[in-house]
Amino acid sequence: MKERRKRKVTAFDVINITVMCLFGVVTLLPVLQVVAKAFSSEGPVIAGLVSFWPIDPQIDTVLYVLKKPEFGGSFRVSVIVTILGTLIAMLLTVSVAYPLSKPKLRGRKFFLYIFVFVMLFNAGMVPNYLMYRSLKLINTIWALVFSGVFSVFNMFIVKNYFESLPETVEEAAKIDGASNMCTLVQIVLPMSLPVLATVTLFYGVGFWNNYMSGVLYITDASLKPLQQYLYDLITEAMNTIDEAGNIADIDSAMNLTGESVRSATIVVSTVPILILYPFLQKYFVKGMTIGSVKG
Amino acid sequence: MSRETKTIENVSAGGRPQLMQPTKKESFGRYFFRNYDMYLLMVPALVFVILFHLIPMYGITLAFKDYNLFAADTPWKSIGASPWVGFKYFINVFARSDFKRALTNTLLISFYKIIFIFPIPILFAIFLNEVRSVKFQKGLQLVVYLPHFLSWAVVAGLFVTLLSSTGPVNKMLVDLGFEKVKFMMDNSVFRKVLIFSDGWKEIGWSSIIYFAAIAGLDQECYEAAVVDGASRFQQIWYITLPGLLPTVVMMLIMRMGSIMDAGFGQIFAMYNPTVYDSADIIGTYVYRMGLGKMDFSTGTAVGLFNSIIGLILVLSSNRFAKKATGKSIW
Repeated sequence: MKERRKRKVTAFDVINITVMCLFGVVTLLPVLQVVAKAFSSEGPVIAGLVSFWPIDPQIDTVLYVLKKPEFGGSFRVSVIVTILGTLIAMLLTVSVAYPLSKPKLRGRKFFLYIFVFVMLFNAGMVPNYLMYRSLKLINTIWALVFSGVFSVFNMFIVKNYFESLPETVEEAAKIDGASNMCTLVQIVLPMSLPVLATVTLFYGVGFWNNYMSGVLYITDASLKPLQQYLYDLITEAMNTIDEAGNIADIDSAMNLTGESVRSATIVVSTVPILILYPFLQKYFVKGMTIGSVKG
Repeated sequence: MSRETKTIENVSAGGRPQLMQPTKKESFGRYFFRNYDMYLLMVPALVFVILFHLIPMYGITLAFKDYNLFAADTPWKSIGASPWVGFKYFINVFARSDFKRALTNTLLISFYKIIFIFPIPILFAIFLNEVRSVKFQKGLQLVVYLPHFLSWAVVAGLFVTLLSSTGPVNKMLVDLGFEKVKFMMDNSVFRKVLIFSDGWKEIGWSSIIYFAAIAGLDQECYEAAVVDGASRFQQIWYITLPGLLPTVVMMLIMRMGSIMDAGFGQIFAMYNPTVYDSADIIGTYVYRMGLGKMDFSTGTAVGLFNSIIGLILVLSSNRFAKKATGKSIW
């Protein structure tokens, strides 16, 4: 590899790399300005002096956000929902993907049709809401768990992966008298760790980032997940303006909720994703290329 | 010939019929009993799908009923107890100007997103692939994939801050001698904000599939082209682009299938009453009518209208994709 042909650096290369760098900069700037605001002093933030670099750096705003009981509560709800939800989701997904990956299983087509139908056609927001309400799931953690706990798309990824495994290993296990269940747990699952990691992360990020279920099913402040808390914080100003009938300047109201507090909340609630990001990136890219498009 | 193979297989399985392999003339009952554990494994997911996906479909009847929440002891039983009214709610809502506005906005925003965002990941993948340094490629990918992992609530927060009257963008406009723009409040620019922020979040991520396709192209073609003296642009034009075409066609067709969703999660997090004129879409309309104003029947009717058109679009685009490229998503 050391002997890669040395090419002349052409004008094309220069322009291309410049454009690519610009791409990266445009991606980073919106993130940077929020980080800058979160770590700047209140004064420069209100005066609108902070752009992309902190002025008078301090960590008090971030500490203030971390100590807020509402933030702590929401963070806890999000952690519980993400862990519980991902666990249940993986159990459901793997257990149904295995039988469906067996082409010879009788009735397989019928079950597949049910799942494809469910994937393509949804009853809609209102019937779903009434169902949750009738099951007394409104304002419970279970509403957040159940609304994201099974994804047909993820199930198909796992199923397609199972189908790609060599049959001979499983057959050998069965000749030795292993039951279907036993084969799944002891033979198939250990061979499928990459796809299991990918789908676990799909579910995990999905649960963590879901703010919609909270908006639909949670009104109790102590049960709001972190993303809903953030959503409320961001739209709060817009809604008060709506009620007052005053639409003159949205930002004067924004300042009341504290632009720096908002920025700090955004930063802090994204940190878990950022810590996991290198793993996420690796496995997500894999997930995009395995099993998603079937030939 | 095939008979012989079968016998050998059966012998190798210890003379016993293999699991899952139905032996000839075996009744379904016996087969089911022999493989009961496989069916048992499907039960949890099936129960879930029935409870949270299939049973709620009964609630669709709401669209054809005068719904009274308190007609029976639970909201769900009230559906059965409410009287039928036929297409009343559909006829009413189709005549409303705010519904027409939502439908127009849905189609417009979707089309704008396809026109302005869809081509960029393709170009990005092609030109990043032309950068010789693998380290640069990997590093930039790490950066541009990042926004995909942020929730719309976070992205809305980022853009509200970025575009506020004291934010960096307006500061720059003032420094350059322009007037401040109320990006989040102005109907003439808000759609541009929506399209830009959607691009910001997903362009990098969407390029993955094209990177994979480029990596799968035959490298010898490029070597041959270089020998023949082809320039970089000629290589892109005559090798990379044609090689990518099937993937592009496939992705475009699939994208067309989801036109009825103009980005509910995004718009719900970013819009506000001042920009309903340019950004209220079917999804947000259903939410406000159905759950906001508690007009359940209208909400269900609009939702059903949207789902049916969406379903038709997805099914036809899948069929179309199969014809065009020989591939489909299921």
